[in-house]
Amino acid sequence: MKEGEALRSVTKQITQEAISEYAAASGDMNPIHVDQEFAAQSQFGGTIAHGMMVAASVSEMMIAEFGMDWIESGRLKLRFRAPVYPGSGITAYGKVKRVREADGGSEVVCSVGVRSESGEDAVTGEATVKTEAPG
Amino acid sequence: MSVDFATLETGQELSDKSYVLDAQTVERYIGAVGDGSGIYQPADDRPIVPAMAVAALGLRGIVADLGIPEGTVHAGQELDFSAVVRVGDALRCRAVLSQNTVRGETRLVSLRLTVEDGVGRQVMTGKTTLLMPGGVAHA
Repeated sequence: MKEGEALRSVTKQITQEAISEYAAASGDMNPIHVDQEFAAQSQFGGTIAHGMMVAASVSEMMIAEFGMDWIESGRLKLRFRAPVYPGSGITAYGKVKRVREADGGSEVVCSVGVRSESGEDAVTGEATVKTEAPG
Repeated sequence: MSVDFATLETGQELSDKSYVLDAQTVERYIGAVGDGSGIYQPADDRPIVPAMAVAALGLRGIVADLGIPEGTVHAGQELDFSAVVRVGDALRCRAVLSQNTVRGETRLVSLRLTVEDGVGRQVMTGKTTLLMPGGVAHA
């Protein structure tokens, strides 16, 4: 991949049903995610998706681009900047920032993020992966 | 179980959990996040577990051990994947407190995570940053 090249984005819909299912799967039953009454009184005014649930779309995007290299050498650094509410669509996006030679292959550094339908960045950060392909 | 974070010191180990990633748990996770990467192939003898599933399911034990206060917000996450994890693998996830400070009404807590497989090979490391309300003991 070349510097400046965009990654193939991943788009999905966040529903309360999926948030509740994620809560059950992850064991994170924080009421901010699953209790409408509690969440309504919070700073967010309603339930929100788990940060890791939203971040999963970034990893899915990186797998689509880099396959097993991501699974075996991926590095992710994310900040959760804004809540994602049920009923919102999200899009994981990314762009190659740097490519450099490393260990006979290359290390690819990408700026990544997740944007909600409103255009707000819910997640921003950086993803790094080592590939066997030369830089 | 719940923990009074005001009493904890950096460097303290907060959680040490061993678990086996079974197909049912992984498939539930994949269904919830709508993972369409295809990396998980249920027909395989021992399917590959998506990297983020290893992280999320590793955090599950920490959540159970710490009794994270209601209203806690996940502010940041770092993850470093170093090896493939497959369904049926035995994993050990440990969390060490790396930051515990109060800013106004919020407690900022960071945990260093290490996940190893059954032979002691490191498969993932990470850092979780949480913003907790109040910075006080909780029920």
